[in-house]
Amino acid sequence: MTAVKRNLRTGRIIVKRPTAAKRWVNVVLLVLLALTIWGFLTIETKGTDLGKATVDTIRYFGIMFGRPAGVDTHFGVSGAGSWGVFTAALRLLLVTLALAFLTTLVGAIIALILGLLAARNLTNTRTSNIIKGFVAVIRAVPTVLWVLIFAIGAGLGAVAAVIGMSFHTVGYLLKAYSESFEELDEGVIDALRASGASWLQIVFQAVLPSSATYLLSWTFIRFEINFAVAVAMGAAAGAGGIGFNLFMAAGYFFDISEIGFITYLILAVALIMELVATQLKKRYHIHD
Amino acid sequence: MALLEVERLTKFYGDSRALSDVTFKIKKGQFVAVIGPSGSGKTTLIRCINRLIDASDGSIRYDKEDILALKGAALRHARAKIGMIFQHYNLVYRLTVIENVLHGRLGYKSSIAGVLGMYTEEEKTKAVEVLQLLGLEDYVYRRCDQLSGGQKQRVGIARALVQDPRMILCDEPISSLDPSSAKIIMDYLRRIQKDLGITILVNLHQVDVAKRYAERILGFNAGHLVFDGPPSELNKKRIHEIYGTEAGELIID
Repeated sequence: MTAVKRNLRTGRIIVKRPTAAKRWVNVVLLVLLALTIWGFLTIETKGTDLGKATVDTIRYFGIMFGRPAGVDTHFGVSGAGSWGVFTAALRLLLVTLALAFLTTLVGAIIALILGLLAARNLTNTRTSNIIKGFVAVIRAVPTVLWVLIFAIGAGLGAVAAVIGMSFHTVGYLLKAYSESFEELDEGVIDALRASGASWLQIVFQAVLPSSATYLLSWTFIRFEINFAVAVAMGAAAGAGGIGFNLFMAAGYFFDISEIGFITYLILAVALIMELVATQLKKRYHIHD
Repeated sequence: MALLEVERLTKFYGDSRALSDVTFKIKKGQFVAVIGPSGSGKTTLIRCINRLIDASDGSIRYDKEDILALKGAALRHARAKIGMIFQHYNLVYRLTVIENVLHGRLGYKSSIAGVLGMYTEEEKTKAVEVLQLLGLEDYVYRRCDQLSGGQKQRVGIARALVQDPRMILCDEPISSLDPSSAKIIMDYLRRIQKDLGITILVNLHQVDVAKRYAERILGFNAGHLVFDGPPSELNKKRIHEIYGTEAGELIID
């Protein structure tokens, strides 16, 4: 008989080895569960009627998404009618999209150049480590914080948003790009070196063609992220665009219908971007 | 006249010797096979010749040029005159056959022209000719990831041929191929040597293939050149010396 372990009570064979670490994980999970229950039981509700609050929440959501509407004066087009409000909102949406596009473009160009210098198979270990270490720091600080940091010099507004968002985009895309480059088979680089090709020729004739689809799909993901951040920056950093109107509707005018209106617009843009991304991927992955 | 002269070539990886004191000459137009067990230094030898690996000591003269002393543009130019084909083909699979073949011209081009992929009409004509020679004229615009192993290796040969090389180095060109594709590839290599007078230096794992195709065989064991002669001299005893096995232990016996 081999040393198969059995549950002392049921006599069943034990598959997973019980370790001290697993026991501790279980203990921690149990403590967290207890704290959660205790937290809910003792929460300070300031006399809120939970039933009424729930009904109200559902009602407000109903207004928000059931009767979305923008107010002409809030969009600076007083007396323009609902179509005027809609086009004004579209223009603001375009500003937000432009912010996302610009920062993605600037970030992508810088990340592409530095990414080539950071890929282990294209450069020496020291250069790669220095660049990767540097951008790891950039990435560790959230985008919003970078915008606020640059706002010290540039003042809150579009300039700080562009610089800060581009900065974090470089950090994000550089990691993605350089790892895509590192995926490339070392042999291909050898083959081109063996035929006398220079570094730049190898980059443009082998590395970029092989990793183009990865680059495209990472850049698009970052564009989607930047769009979401651009909305937030309009609200938090005065970068302009639809985000600022969202912020005003929510925090100043308390106009629930307008929040719904703007949310629908943002949702539509996100949906369109998703569709475009899928189409692009289909086109470029066609032979895979 | 010798096209390639290797003298006292030595390569260390850390403390271990991959090649020790290897000396041989290869005449223009010869078909030479290199055999030996895995880790005997065959690949290291081939890669030292075009400097994909830097040798630790010794000298290599190719076409009267001191290969180990070359740098930068001079090294690129020397590499351009030596073709190379690989076990795993090493093509850029997302590009078409002709784009991959034209990569063989990069060593002759200015960096910018190479970066932009601007090839001259002569270069393109040459590429098409080479593809016809290798029976790939119907696959010119096919993406390389859609080809079979044997076809990929023929693209690899085409890429080496457009370099106008005087010698082609082959690093286990048939190890990933089925026997029939392997025969096709070896036959093409022989034709290239016979018809175009290009020197072939080929690493092989198959002793029988080496004996059938090569005019001369170099046998390596643990980084030492232990056999250098025509296939007729490569008897059972010599084979066992190269592979370091007791008589009767090899699959080919």
